[in-house]
Amino acid sequence: MEREPQKNTPLQEVWKRFKRNKLALGGFIVLVFLIIVAIFAPYLAPYDYAAQDYTSRLIYPNAQHWFGTDNFGRDIFSRVIFGTRYTLFIGLICTTVAAFFGCGLGLIAAFFSKLDNIIMRVMDVLIGIPAMLMCISIVAALGSNMRNMMIALSVTAMPNFARVMRAQVLTVRDQEFIEAARSIGASNGRIMLKHIVPNSLAPVIVQFTLGVVNAILMSASLSFVGMGVQPPNPEWGLLISAGRAYLRSEWYMCILPGLAIVVTTFALNLLGDGLRDALDPRLKR
Amino acid sequence: MSLLLEVNRLKKYFSTASGMLHAVDDVSFKVERGKTLGVVGESGCGKSTLGRVVLHLLPATSGQIIFNGKDISNPSPASLHELRRNMQMVFQDPFSSLNPRQSVSEIIGEPLLIYKICKTKKEYQERVIDLMKTVGLDSRYENTYPHELDGGRRQRIGIGRALALNPEFIVCDEPVSALDVSIQAQILNLMQDLQDARGLTYIFITHNLSVVKHISDDIMVMYLGEMVEKTNTKELFSTQLHPYSKALLSAIPRAKLDLKRNHILLRGELSSPIEPPDACRFAPRCNYCEDICTSRRPSLEEVIPGHFVACHLVREINGL
Amino acid sequence: MQMNHELLKITDLEVFYTVDDDLVRAVNKVSLTLRDKETLGLVGETGAGKTTLALSILGIVPNPPGKIVAGSVEYQGVDLTKLSDKQLRRYRGKEIAMIFQDPMTSLNPVLTVGEQISEVIKLHNKISLFEASSRAKEMLELVGIQSSRYGDYPHEFSGGMKQRVIIAIALACNPQLLIADEPTTALDVTIQMQVLDLMNKLKTERGSAMLLITHDLGVVAEVCDSVAIMYAGEIVERGSLRDVFEGESHPYKLGLFNSLPDVDSDTERLESIAGLAPNPTKLPDGCKFHPRCKYCTEVCMAKNPELIERETGHFIKCWNIQPVKRGKTV
Repeated sequence: MEREPQKNTPLQEVWKRFKRNKLALGGFIVLVFLIIVAIFAPYLAPYDYAAQDYTSRLIYPNAQHWFGTDNFGRDIFSRVIFGTRYTLFIGLICTTVAAFFGCGLGLIAAFFSKLDNIIMRVMDVLIGIPAMLMCISIVAALGSNMRNMMIALSVTAMPNFARVMRAQVLTVRDQEFIEAARSIGASNGRIMLKHIVPNSLAPVIVQFTLGVVNAILMSASLSFVGMGVQPPNPEWGLLISAGRAYLRSEWYMCILPGLAIVVTTFALNLLGDGLRDALDPRLKR
Repeated sequence: MSLLLEVNRLKKYFSTASGMLHAVDDVSFKVERGKTLGVVGESGCGKSTLGRVVLHLLPATSGQIIFNGKDISNPSPASLHELRRNMQMVFQDPFSSLNPRQSVSEIIGEPLLIYKICKTKKEYQERVIDLMKTVGLDSRYENTYPHELDGGRRQRIGIGRALALNPEFIVCDEPVSALDVSIQAQILNLMQDLQDARGLTYIFITHNLSVVKHISDDIMVMYLGEMVEKTNTKELFSTQLHPYSKALLSAIPRAKLDLKRNHILLRGELSSPIEPPDACRFAPRCNYCEDICTSRRPSLEEVIPGHFVACHLVREINGL
Repeated sequence: MQMNHELLKITDLEVFYTVDDDLVRAVNKVSLTLRDKETLGLVGETGAGKTTLALSILGIVPNPPGKIVAGSVEYQGVDLTKLSDKQLRRYRGKEIAMIFQDPMTSLNPVLTVGEQISEVIKLHNKISLFEASSRAKEMLELVGIQSSRYGDYPHEFSGGMKQRVIIAIALACNPQLLIADEPTTALDVTIQMQVLDLMNKLKTERGSAMLLITHDLGVVAEVCDSVAIMYAGEIVERGSLRDVFEGESHPYKLGLFNSLPDVDSDTERLESIAGLAPNPTKLPDGCKFHPRCKYCTEVCMAKNPELIERETGHFIKCWNIQPVKRGKTV
């Protein structure tokens, strides 16, 4: 069939399709918004997030303090804004590290069948242990701070990436163009990097957005129980934890940071769904 | 006529849960420089596997491959790498044989990069455009992606890629089977033109007898991993000697009316290629089958000069 | 040809798809008539609209993105396009049956072949399961499969045998009209011959009409009584088998015949049709074939020709009908 060359890279095609999904686009916009908030936090926050003011303790949300103040008189809105930095930093870094190592292992397992069994059995063991339990164990062993929590989160997220990547690579590996690459003299390295990986990214990208959501939630949970980010840092989970004692009366101390978590994860989920649909090869013409 | 390729007693077996699968079983043939050997057969005959084993895309189980006078049956990785410059493949499926994430010029140019053929970027770009033109692709398609193009153009990309290293020998695995009839003709013409211009030698694998007749000098017919008949094209179409070849030719639907259609209907289905018995593999379906056919495997005989057949009863059936 | 009564009458059918904001005119004002016991070959290449046409008859064009926008499909006088899905279900499988292209994916892998045949029988007949299964066994024997294989699963059959099962399912309720979409394309040529032979036999025995969709003119010559050639969603030529194979020509048909490698003669070079089939979202003005046509004239570029009747029953849609029988063009 006659088709004028559109000069659209596959990437541009995906973006075109993605844009059509309004919900997903909304999720993407929210993410961009959060990134901006994180970067420009010092300019956007009306108060210093650590500034304590005993004259303004436990004030309900009003015109001066949009989210109210906590028991130390700190402005919660500013703390939520700065908390965005933690959320995004932890979410993105942990997931990226997990993706890098997990996909690497998955690629090797799928490409070199002799190593497949041993790599995937190790992954199975990791998946078998409940993530929360594993994180708590690692943090307990290494010490309760943000760095160690991030290590724990990366380790627990790795196996899922390995699985997803391996499944995709197994499919791609049997395609004729891989055989063709061999016939033109391509080395294993070239085949893996130029041919297999670029065609295996779609499910990985989707897994990535899910991974970020998971990391954010886990980090909030771990910090809530004191095993992650330490006070007085304004991580959202910590904010909720701090508000625990005041839940009955000063509900905004828990609910508002919690809402921030909800909005963020919801947006990322929509983004992930939209990406999955946009990347679906069956929808390609 | 010099010999470019000689294959002796080539075997390729696959190990399966139920036993050894004899995909290619004891096949021998020669291909002369500049000629086309057509390999025909239906599904399960092993023709695609044969093509891949000759190119070392699959390791042979046993047998000898002599290319340009040198024995290349067990090449070292380094010599295999060099060999690939001279033996290339055009694949069947114009959809899955191209990397969807590479543009037309990247696909065609990749061999040049791998073998570091061009010294400058400019030289590389010129070579790629040149190759595109050779296979009938306008230069404006340089940065298009396979999914934007039709089957015919995609197959041209595949041919361009196969030509990039200037090989002497190309194995074409059903290159036109996935194309519409009108495009098929375009691609077949292109392949013939390339052969004339560059002195290429082809092994042309197909199940379509009309296509193979058009493009081949010699033809070998395969059935369940074995070669059952081999001779030059003209002779095969005028005088088939093996019962399977006869049936195969009679089954081609002809786009003509008032033909006396004597369809040779074969009984049953393909028998299993796993652990086949020492007998003629076509026997279960053959209308001429006799006791000897089920007790001993027939060997390839030169029944008429230049005409090889593997059948116990070839002389009786054909009155020779 | 004996004038049997009209079984299927398609008039000015238009079917469009909306894909990514583009309008694909898959079927453009197509008219066809199929009589009792007639086998009509619908020939065309990829994208010509043949499958869409077939799906529209049964009302199973995927919607979205497809829609029948105009025209009628009359089956024994009843316009199927005006019926609801519930009403159409009474026709599907019973009066009109369809065979799809790929036998590998047309059968449900978790049901036995016997179950799949009896399922169709039970759907349209109020009989017991036992009776349905014995009728199913009869169907298996009819298509050349031992009835003892009733309880086997699809994966235990080869491609050719799966296609026979599909034929058995299609014929189980004795339909008047069978639509077969490329039924033998995926099969080896010797198996194809077995299946075509079977279809011919059954056609004669049961007296059903068949709409056979194919790109293979050889298959048409084996099985069909009449032929319709489709290009870019339109019927460009239609007539009896003999008229189309040996009479006057639409240039596209001529090109198709000339690009076939001929087993019975020696040709140095194949004639191909220049260019490619048009993009269905951007069809050319005038005659849809004109950009590729050797005989294109001014009027061809401006106006789309109508189907002109030549010898009785032979219709050609062209301003410059080629008078020669098929052969090398000048």
